[in-house]
Amino acid sequence: MNTAFTSFNLETGAELLKSLRAPEFILPTMLMPVAFYALFAIVLPNNANAAAYLLATYGVFAVMGPSIFGFGINVANERDKGWLSLKRAAPSRGINYIGAKVVNTLIFSSVAVGIVYAMAGFVAGVALPISTWALLLLTHVLAVFPFILIGLSIGFLCNSNGAVAISNIVFLAFAALGGLWIPVSVFPAGLQSFAHFLPSFHLSEIALYVSGAPGERDVVYHVIVTGISTLALLGITILAWSKQRTK
Amino acid sequence: MNHYARLFAKQLTKSYGDVQALRGIDINIDRPGVFAVLGQNGAGKTSLIKCALGLEPIGDGQLTTMGHAPGSMTAKQQTGVILQDTDLPDTLTVKEHIALFASYYPQSFSVNETIAMCELSSFAHKKYKQLSGGQKRRVQFALAVVGDPELIFLDEPTTGLDIEARRNLWAVIREFANKGKTIVLTTHYLEEADNLADQIMIMNQGQIVANATPANIHKQSSGSIVRCQTSLNEEQIQQLAGVEAVSISGRFSEIRTSKVNQTVAELLALAPDLLDLTVSKPKLEDIFTQLSNPDLKQSSSSDSAGAH
Repeated sequence: MNTAFTSFNLETGAELLKSLRAPEFILPTMLMPVAFYALFAIVLPNNANAAAYLLATYGVFAVMGPSIFGFGINVANERDKGWLSLKRAAPSRGINYIGAKVVNTLIFSSVAVGIVYAMAGFVAGVALPISTWALLLLTHVLAVFPFILIGLSIGFLCNSNGAVAISNIVFLAFAALGGLWIPVSVFPAGLQSFAHFLPSFHLSEIALYVSGAPGERDVVYHVIVTGISTLALLGITILAWSKQRTK
Repeated sequence: MNHYARLFAKQLTKSYGDVQALRGIDINIDRPGVFAVLGQNGAGKTSLIKCALGLEPIGDGQLTTMGHAPGSMTAKQQTGVILQDTDLPDTLTVKEHIALFASYYPQSFSVNETIAMCELSSFAHKKYKQLSGGQKRRVQFALAVVGDPELIFLDEPTTGLDIEARRNLWAVIREFANKGKTIVLTTHYLEEADNLADQIMIMNQGQIVANATPANIHKQSSGSIVRCQTSLNEEQIQQLAGVEAVSISGRFSEIRTSKVNQTVAELLALAPDLLDLTVSKPKLEDIFTQLSNPDLKQSSSSDSAGAH
């Protein structure tokens, strides 16, 4: 007798195996954030506080890759192959398919962000109270969810080639213009205002607040905007989901 | 066995924009066996399967699978399927794929039982991407049957397979029909329907134009085909008793006749130099062409020529 729980476990295990057996896709998303962090936060700046400040924003950068690419490209690819239709014709539950991918994204995002933390703590000597590390980790892990919804929408709306292109554009735009690589404060005024339209900007501001970074920020505003945009993204994802079903 | 039909359709329609894919389909399948849906591309076979699986909403009319609404969990738990143009994730092994699909069904076969039934043991540990085309299709068949469903849809299961792989799959399909399962299979291989099916439904332009056993489908086309080398020309042959159609290809004349004995007797009397005489019943291909082409349906005099 199979239970829904067995099925969810097998689905999650299958997702994990698929990722681990395609290291050419998973390794870059794991290693790029720490490489960028080492270069832009530790090696290049001549300011000793940069590593501590940028830890918050590079943490957001680290969780963004597995979420956007893992969902955007994988879902589009599995849909193109007819794999999703076959699952839909079988008595599998859509929520298990998504849930298994969410668990995997949480695992790989945590690893990616953990590597950045290790680099910050052991190499750059960033010292934060344990409670701050914990809160920062929680913030970064929760930041996965809006990005997952964006990835899912891309996966449902694009074919696999389109999904690769759009995921990359979204990923780079969120990283560069959201201030994940270099603080938004050094941008020209127009780009600074534009950043307010990007979830990556608000999430990085929340993370900066949690890490106790210098500078004044209205954390309530950022939390509200993030909450509202996550709900809006959920709506878009549900629309995209029902649209691809009738294709 | 069950009080409801396994697949039931009444005046079922389906359109995509202006294109009418199904125009008033009636089906009532309530017993085990292999039911072949035969038709050319665009006849509506795949639309019918997709509607029956709940992958596409239906237009007007009624449709139920295993007595339930298509796509409902209860219907899906009693249904298995091979869809056209489907590929499974490359990096999972055959065993892993089967274990995952088994978990979707409340009462499934075990992974090992499934591997044995579908004869996958020689490649069960391989990753999907390492398999040949025939092996991949066998794995897809395993996913269709692992949940021990009563009703199995196979949408062109042997397209693109070589003869040996096709025959292997036929044997496995036949076995499941013998175990009491209902298999609805679409195909455009006439040989497949003829060899495998207990019942053949011929579809054309969104309608079922014939629905009978292979033997009865053969009977529907009356008469015989006489093939020989003769010195008579086409016009002379046409004058013989019972002749309905004549076609000449190379040295051979092919004569479709309703009175085979008289035709052959006259043929021999007029031209005793007759060579290589064979008499056969019309092949399914001839009937298929006749039934699925509405222009030829009315006039039976020229359809034999049209079949080639």
